Amino acid sequence: MLKYIVRRVLQMVPVFLGVTILLFVLTVVIPGDPIAMRMGERNMTDAQRASIRKALGLDKPLYQQYGDYLVRLSKGDLGESSRARRPVLSIFADLYPNTIRLALAAIVIEIIIGIGAGIISAIKRYSFMDVLVTLSTSILVSLPVFWLGLMMQLLFGIKFKEWGLPYLPVVNMTSDQFPPWAHMIMPSIVLASVSTAYVARIMRSQLLEVMNQDYIRTAQAKGLSPSAVIWKHGLKNAMIPVVTFIGLDLGAMMSGAILTETVFNWPGIGYMVYQSILQRDWPVVMGGVIIIVFVVMIINLLVDISYAFLDPRIRYGAESS
Amino acid sequence: MTHLLEVAGLKTHFFTQDGVVRAVDGVTFTLDAGQTLGVVGESGSGKSVTALSIMGLIPAAQGRVVEGDIRFKGDSVVGMTEDQMRAIRGNRIAMIFQDPMTSLNPVFRVGVQIAESLRVHKGMSKADANQRAVELLDLVGIPHPSERARDYPHQFSGGMRQRAMIAMALACDPDILIADEPTTALDVTIQAQIIDLMMSLQDRTGSAIVMITHDLGVVADIADNVLVMYAGHPAELGAADEVFYKPQHPYTWGLLDSLPRHDVTDKTELCPIKGQPPSLVNVPSGCPFHPRCPYVKEVCRTMVPQLRDIEGGHMSACHFSGEPGFTRTEMACAGVSS
Repeated sequence: MLKYIVRRVLQMVPVFLGVTILLFVLTVVIPGDPIAMRMGERNMTDAQRASIRKALGLDKPLYQQYGDYLVRLSKGDLGESSRARRPVLSIFADLYPNTIRLALAAIVIEIIIGIGAGIISAIKRYSFMDVLVTLSTSILVSLPVFWLGLMMQLLFGIKFKEWGLPYLPVVNMTSDQFPPWAHMIMPSIVLASVSTAYVARIMRSQLLEVMNQDYIRTAQAKGLSPSAVIWKHGLKNAMIPVVTFIGLDLGAMMSGAILTETVFNWPGIGYMVYQSILQRDWPVVMGGVIIIVFVVMIINLLVDISYAFLDPRIRYGAESS
Repeated sequence: MTHLLEVAGLKTHFFTQDGVVRAVDGVTFTLDAGQTLGVVGESGSGKSVTALSIMGLIPAAQGRVVEGDIRFKGDSVVGMTEDQMRAIRGNRIAMIFQDPMTSLNPVFRVGVQIAESLRVHKGMSKADANQRAVELLDLVGIPHPSERARDYPHQFSGGMRQRAMIAMALACDPDILIADEPTTALDVTIQAQIIDLMMSLQDRTGSAIVMITHDLGVVADIADNVLVMYAGHPAELGAADEVFYKPQHPYTWGLLDSLPRHDVTDKTELCPIKGQPPSLVNVPSGCPFHPRCPYVKEVCRTMVPQLRDIEGGHMSACHFSGEPGFTRTEMACAGVSS
């Protein structure tokens, strides 16, 4: 197991280097003069330009610039925002907790509601609950996230207030009027909505498929109770694809939820990266991408490790290619 | 006298969109302690469904026992509640399935899967049950049983998995072991080992065995009694020697004739039964075998033959069995030579 983890961590190195090369090439080929971008509209003499180029290391050959870039990266220096004039790392250090809070809340919803609904739906196949779950998940997966967010704001934020019912904050992460958890309710539900529907559907189909397997009949033939057959023999097998999906989804959410964060004015990293793209603040975009790549790689590794606990056939991953 | 297991007029039907599937339609037999009953027939003749009916494992959403009775030690299991049935299942009547590759749960250790029924039925502690599982693995001939008990099924070969299945089935010392084609998925050399193992374990434990198979050779070797099934119906039932040496039903004759024989030196052609087994949704009228029977007469098309005693407990479900002059002829092979 340890060998497998070490091997996987080593595999992350070339992926990470590949990403840095891509990003570095992007900075070179993106149109626009980096000095003009930094200095804005101010007129400069050629001598001034040359000295700034030298100060920024832009006069060196490209491979050397890339080398310098890697050295800075390895020290945790992601550069400085060209707008905010703040280190990129500190910008993301401030914003990342907001994204993580939202992602974790959404994952909890996904796990509890998604898995729960999927199991009920599979066990009580063709029942009212099953029809309800199947129908509502089909609707949910086809709703655009931003539309769902706007409609929820309209209903639970504005209309409920008009009708004199208890209502929820419409935007922002904090306010004087509401406790912080109240601010999290709508964004986390919206962020979790589509994935929860997928989790429920995957869980349902997997459990139904597993319950038709020969080993389930063996478990029944042993005289185990129906609940032991489902919860022990069925669920552990059916969970494998569900864990994959939730893990990948956690990775996606940790990369920032641009739509949800934008609709709810939630100061997370997705919103930040999106804003930085619009403002052509390349150091922030690049730094954000590097952080996201790193986080996603770590989460994927954790997901792969979790397989080993669910499926012994991949326990000794080192044997397979 | 109460038999250990008594199946009388069992009918198990499945209800599908295409109609009622009469998977088992009137099967009758008895089994006594320590005996081996061989159940033979083509695929789809209702052998496995008979076994699952005895185990009470017919999925309620798809089918059920519609008629007849199954009595275990005199008690009818057909009307039992799920809880009563569960106390018997895996405990007094255990079952081994056809494909050992898919019959073990891939995510649990072999030893744990064997220990499971001990914990459920005998109330053993985890440690005791695991210890007993190791002993059982040893009993079925798995080398280094204490290490192998900690292995997962994918680390076992096919033959070893079937041995583990046998260990699992024998864990609670059942009165009856139902083996549903336990060797079909295995290599020929392994098949003989598994059969030998089952026989030697039967000598030790005194369990009765229901051996479901389409391998007549296996049945001839081990069975005390034989039930021949065709299209959900019993065709012939009797002591193994009687059925093999004095078969009464044309279907049994056909089965025996379709076997390659190594004692015949000239290259006689095999003589298979013509045609296909019928669809169980549309079972032919009268005798279900009549469309394929070379000896068919008018009455066969209209009247369902009942299983009846021909001679000293040897039963056959053919209108003509036991009639003087109704014997196996070469007629069956006519026209097959092409």
